Amino acid sequence: MINILLAGVGGQGTVLAAKVLAQAAQNNGWKVRTAETIGMAQRGGSVVSHVRMGNEGEPVHAPLLALQSADVIIAFEPAEAARVLPYLKPHGLVVTAQTAVQPVTAALSKEPYRASDVIAGLQEQVERLVVVDDEALTQQVGSRKALNTILLAKAVQAADLGISLDDLRAAIEVCVKERFVPLNLKAIEVAVA
Amino acid sequence: MAKKLYMGNEAFAHAALAAGVRVVAGYPGTPSSELIETVAKENAAGRAEGVHVEWSTNEKAALELLAGASYAGARTLFTCKMVGLNVASDALMSLNYVGVKGGTVLFVADDPGPISSQTEQDTRRFASFAKLPVLDPTTPEEGCEMMDAAFELSEAYRTPVIVRPTTRINHASTFMEFPEVTHAKPVPAEGFERDPKWVIFPRRAFQAHGEINERLRSIAQDFARGPLARFNPIVEVPAGGAFDEAPVYEGASFADELDRRGVARVTAGDERCAAAPGDAEGAVSDIVPGAAPDAAREVDASVPRIGIAAGGVSAAYVREALGMLEELARAAGTELPAYRFMQAGTPYPFPEDAARAFLDGLDTVVVFEELDHVIEDELLMLAGRAHLACQVHGRRDGVTRDRGENTVDDTLRRLASAFATFAGMPQNVAAALPDPAAFDGALPTRPPVLCAGCPHRGSFSAVKRALGGRPAVLCGDIGCYTLGNAQPLDAVDTCLCMGAGITMAQGFAVAEPSKKCVAFVGDSTFFASGMTGVANAVYNQHDVTIVVLDNATTAMTGGQPHPGTGITLMGPQSQPIDIEETLRALGVTCVVRANPFDLDEATAAAQEAIDFEGPSALIYVGPCIQLAKPDVPVRINPDICTGCKKCITSIGCPAIGFDVDARGPKAKRGQAVVDTSLCTGCGLCTFTCPFGAIEKEARDD
Repeated sequence: MINILLAGVGGQGTVLAAKVLAQAAQNNGWKVRTAETIGMAQRGGSVVSHVRMGNEGEPVHAPLLALQSADVIIAFEPAEAARVLPYLKPHGLVVTAQTAVQPVTAALSKEPYRASDVIAGLQEQVERLVVVDDEALTQQVGSRKALNTILLAKAVQAADLGISLDDLRAAIEVCVKERFVPLNLKAIEVAVA
Repeated sequence: MAKKLYMGNEAFAHAALAAGVRVVAGYPGTPSSELIETVAKENAAGRAEGVHVEWSTNEKAALELLAGASYAGARTLFTCKMVGLNVASDALMSLNYVGVKGGTVLFVADDPGPISSQTEQDTRRFASFAKLPVLDPTTPEEGCEMMDAAFELSEAYRTPVIVRPTTRINHASTFMEFPEVTHAKPVPAEGFERDPKWVIFPRRAFQAHGEINERLRSIAQDFARGPLARFNPIVEVPAGGAFDEAPVYEGASFADELDRRGVARVTAGDERCAAAPGDAEGAVSDIVPGAAPDAAREVDASVPRIGIAAGGVSAAYVREALGMLEELARAAGTELPAYRFMQAGTPYPFPEDAARAFLDGLDTVVVFEELDHVIEDELLMLAGRAHLACQVHGRRDGVTRDRGENTVDDTLRRLASAFATFAGMPQNVAAALPDPAAFDGALPTRPPVLCAGCPHRGSFSAVKRALGGRPAVLCGDIGCYTLGNAQPLDAVDTCLCMGAGITMAQGFAVAEPSKKCVAFVGDSTFFASGMTGVANAVYNQHDVTIVVLDNATTAMTGGQPHPGTGITLMGPQSQPIDIEETLRALGVTCVVRANPFDLDEATAAAQEAIDFEGPSALIYVGPCIQLAKPDVPVRINPDICTGCKKCITSIGCPAIGFDVDARGPKAKRGQAVVDTSLCTGCGLCTFTCPFGAIEKEARDD
């Protein structure tokens, strides 16, 4: 069983990333289930997508991950990576974007929220951490919308999931609207360059 | 046909179309909305032949429309979230007495947690209250089978049938396959046939009540035996065995298996009753909650003494957790004791014959379900009626969670404890349960907020500015704008149910005439259930101000059209119902309109409406950001920004953050910064800066 947790802020695109992973698993002939946060939390709240793949032909019962079962956490924002840390398997991989999305609560508060503090904490606690310079990479691709594919490519590259970059490309062709396919394929190239 | 990834709600839509549904109607509500959207999509693509699909004005309108279609013989599907069924309940209660002709399925989505809802009410309870069958899927795949079965059942017994998934089924996705093109089942040639039975009179209701009782007994039998018993599987796992390798019995066929095995069909309880009839003391000591099984009884390790019952997604969690517990036991050098499992996929009418076989010989049952203790109560009643000594544990005695969602982790923990306490599993197995560490550091909280560029932000700010320091009660309602409650807007004092704000404000005005009473209502909610309250305010002359937040969509649930938009799911555009004209037609004489992004104009308009004595209305017209093309983001001039935070503390837009380390010529304490990926350039913040540091440029095109 491969378990992947995607964490971010409502509106960042975790849902599409989960779809792409699910398609890649399906193309491999695996059973797969995903689950999304839909509803009020999508308005700028914390959101997670769960992806579970039966890569050994086993059935997948629950749509949600258990704690300490994630092979990979893909986070679109550092505090959201930290928030879901209890889901990470021992020796599991965390891939996180380094740019903070400041919640209104933090702007109002006297205690500032600095991405660098959280990333330092993650470096302490996580054995296998990939911090992605999302600002530079999305600029290279030419769109902030490419963030999810960049993170997926980074995760596929760093983790041994039985999913290749070519699998990712094939899944994108199926899941992404045709006119956005080139942008997402470019995002993979930029991410792994 | 290749398999495609379908979200639960999308899959249920395809299953209903494949079952020949002809008329689909409902009102949006998380987690149910995607079903109707999928039917509309299939219809628009020409793949769903013969279907009529619509967003009705509210749930009651939807169900009544479907009742008519069903009386004529059409297969009909109603959709809503659980609180929506409250709105439709007047129709539903009577509809069950009258009965239906075309198969009538109510798709009602429950929301344990709750994640996006006002209550944790349980539609399985509503089914037993209304006396109609309910099906409760464990996976989207099973939900699709249930959708098909529900139409058949509805027509066989002329009863409405509820299919009740929960959020984790509605919003879970998996790969499935459906027919490319579907055809609605034709309305029978005879159509609606006039008959006294369609008119509900007391005498007819008395007779119908008897028919309902009779059909419920018969349906309970169908749920225990026959094809529908597959929704109530029973699995018996020997000591050290694996769940996935154990045979699955459909409902009461497990009783036949017990007979085949030649197991003496007497339970521990029966033995005790036989041994000591009337021994009340003994009986009481046996049913102390949490008591360990009778140690004096001879133990045969091959016979299970513990049973696990579950329904809905909890059954999937139990299967997952049992697999984990098997592994933990193996790792601890031992094995799981024998156990029995039952999924109750048809909780009402309860499949008693199946459950009776499940309980046979068990000392203890632990029930995992969400929302209410429905299966637990049924098993308790059954054990009581059959004088079984079997202890039934669950939500009532806290052996399982009494509120919120179940999870695999919580289920595993509680199963480990139950196996150790009631079935003699060695204690060291539970000691190996995972105990993950949380992040060691401070994290910002991230509650949902009104989006950057949301028109409601300006509306709330304007009303608060117009009120100044005057005492007021601000009544909110259901929708995105409930988020006006959050700091710093802090503009929503109450939220009860759809449409309640308008009428509650009238109650405040009566009880506390010295306060200004303002009610915020969204455009979709206005049509769903706001107009009655407006009529009440005019009729009884209440001094309230009704603020309609017209963003041209039903935003919170994903942007569905409503009567004020004129957009229909069938294609043709209807004449949009004008909110201002509606208010005037209802007798409101003071109606003011304003642009919520122009804070000065919006404040002046609020002033006028609030100062009016008697019922007044204020309409803020500004599109939801999901509908409007974003403008160029605003710019904060770093040479001017002093870091006073006035922009942040007055409107709290998520696109304005604060960089504590920034230093401008006048800023000693950091500066406000714009997140250009979020800012829509609405310009509301330009009204808040006392120094004119926020600059808005017009879009080039």
